[in-house]
Amino acid sequence: MSELALRRPLINRRYTLELRQHMAWYWQALILGASLVLGLLVSGAILVAAGVPAGELLNEFVLYTLFDAQSLKSVLFQASPLIMVGLAGCLAFRARFWNLGLEGQMIFGAIGATAITLWDIGSPSLRLPLMILTAMACGLLWAVAPVLLRLKLRVNEIVSTLMLNYIAVNFLLHLMYGPWKDPKDAFPYSPKYESFELLPDLPGGLSLSIPIAIGLAVLVLWFVSISRAGLYLRFVDKSPDVARSVGVPVARTILMAVLFSGALAGLAGLMVAAGQEGRLTHSFYVGYGFSGILIAFLARNNPIAATCAALLIATLFVAGRSLQVFYQIPFAMVQLIQAVLVICVASSDFFIRHRIRRVQGGE
Amino acid sequence: MKKMIFSACLALAGFFGLISTVNAEGLTLEGPPKIAMLYISPTNDGGWTQAFDEARQRLEKDLGIKIQYVESVPESASAIRPAVERFIKRGANIIIGTAFGYSDTFKALSEEYPNVAFLNGSGTTNGPNLLSFYGRTYESQYLCGMAAAAASKTGKLGFVAANPFGQVNWTINAYAMGAHEINPDATVTVVYTGAWNDPTKERSATKALIDQGADVIGQHVDTPTPQLVAQENGVYGTGHHRDFREFAPKATVCSSVWVWDRFLKTELEKIIAGNWVPNPNGALLSMQEGGTDIACCGPNISEEEEAKIMAARDKLLKGELQIYAGPLYDQDGNLRAAEGEVIPDPELWQMDWFVDGVITQQ
Repeated sequence: MSELALRRPLINRRYTLELRQHMAWYWQALILGASLVLGLLVSGAILVAAGVPAGELLNEFVLYTLFDAQSLKSVLFQASPLIMVGLAGCLAFRARFWNLGLEGQMIFGAIGATAITLWDIGSPSLRLPLMILTAMACGLLWAVAPVLLRLKLRVNEIVSTLMLNYIAVNFLLHLMYGPWKDPKDAFPYSPKYESFELLPDLPGGLSLSIPIAIGLAVLVLWFVSISRAGLYLRFVDKSPDVARSVGVPVARTILMAVLFSGALAGLAGLMVAAGQEGRLTHSFYVGYGFSGILIAFLARNNPIAATCAALLIATLFVAGRSLQVFYQIPFAMVQLIQAVLVICVASSDFFIRHRIRRVQGGE
Repeated sequence: MKKMIFSACLALAGFFGLISTVNAEGLTLEGPPKIAMLYISPTNDGGWTQAFDEARQRLEKDLGIKIQYVESVPESASAIRPAVERFIKRGANIIIGTAFGYSDTFKALSEEYPNVAFLNGSGTTNGPNLLSFYGRTYESQYLCGMAAAAASKTGKLGFVAANPFGQVNWTINAYAMGAHEINPDATVTVVYTGAWNDPTKERSATKALIDQGADVIGQHVDTPTPQLVAQENGVYGTGHHRDFREFAPKATVCSSVWVWDRFLKTELEKIIAGNWVPNPNGALLSMQEGGTDIACCGPNISEEEEAKIMAARDKLLKGELQIYAGPLYDQDGNLRAAEGEVIPDPELWQMDWFVDGVITQQ
């Protein structure tokens, strides 16, 4: 009897999950910030358990990474190609096209730019703009086949873009170990770019690739939220069938978004080759495809959020490297911490999109 | 007048001579030595990086200095820079890299930090405070080729190689030349996997070679997979990087191993002593200088053959044997080194030809 009286309210207490239509941006930011703090606390606990002195963590690691000029420079140095692949992911995913071929498009972008340097096309002052355009064109061209296959023959783009990556990688290796190897020492990288073929540093030491990346983020924002194509894109994203029946040019919209995505990935390849390495190397693309998908996912395909997410990922890379340098912890630990932070941020999405509400039991 | 010009020239020459002696003044560290290493892979990769980490532990003991490290630093400027800059900021003044892909970034960093000594294993760049070093793997692999021919019944040797370029091709040719010391009819069939670290491709390449009748499998790739597959199939093999008897005790008859500490100990002592002037062409280490050695011999090699291999090893350790000495012809009959000549290093790096008995897909 008494037992029943205690249990009844619990039995009757019910909760329901509701989809949230909209949430003010400051609430979203607050939830995101809270999830990041939670992730940092969990990571901190892991590190302390691994024997890192707790007192030093905040001081040396967090503050040092974020407020040291050299670290900040490293973050920005790393960020621009990440922003590019993140934006490329956003664009394709908005058209419901799962572009897993970001790495292949990157590789061809860098190959195109390198071809311009090897064949000395254009005068020195025109060289860099020409390389940028060629990189975008080559990235775009590498995306043509899968998008046409998907639109004309309904070939699954997940498979086709992924497989095209392998072709791109092996073609790159063929060039690096064959015709394009550096004649100076026969090692598997292209000859060094000339100084006018490199993305220059701006006064203050920042690479030109940062303003380019931010400019393109704004351009993509305009494309997806203001332009007519962006309006169509939203239709296609919500329901391709409805979009088609109300007269939206679905195929053309998908084609445009995917080609734009490929062009941006191609530019990411140029940013690594001409902004970081100073030549074409045999493994410059590694990891960018996955990072691009991750960034677009974290940003829920919003270009500005993708830029922030790319900066976050770059910070994680640099901070992870300092952690290793400071405490000699294994790299696996760094990856674990990065994964914890990403999972925390990703799960915050749940609270932004849903609300938990208590409902009355059916008495 | 002529005399005056002459003496002016002399004075000028003397002036430049002075400058060059100033330039030749080597690097002397400021403060006590603090060493940091950057590894391309995890410390327990079983091969290349683990060999460096084992050398690091021996060096710590020998030099009495703690050596910091950071693992899994990929070959990209955006990953190398933050690690090196952070080490330097924390007081490191000797930085040791372990990858060919670090070359350009190390060159740039060595110019930005002229008071820091840089060393890079398998690198290509050098400078007043930067020394790249690598081992003449063809010496140790020549000995492994001898062991392979000794262990083989059929004389058909297989070889799993990474990528077709100089430092892999010189290994293959030396392997064949070593094998011919024991069995003049031995052949070496090569499969390039196109990757340094791809166990799946290495497995299928090894299996294919065994199916074609190879009964000893040599390798110049990073994982012990070829040895494992050889053991599973009841044939033999020779390892690379470290003593692969650790992974395949029944199969591995010989391994080409890195002995970096033998070289790094003397080089680090030179740096610490001050006035360090690195070789502007880099250090391509012979077995005598402490680059490579062998771990030999495993099963199926008779005492007589083992004695032959060890005698050749002794000669290499004393610097009395040159592998790429003439007369030497390639498969097409072109003379590659005349009688009494040794192929110079720049030509070794460019090696794209093969000796008789080597069968490749190229």
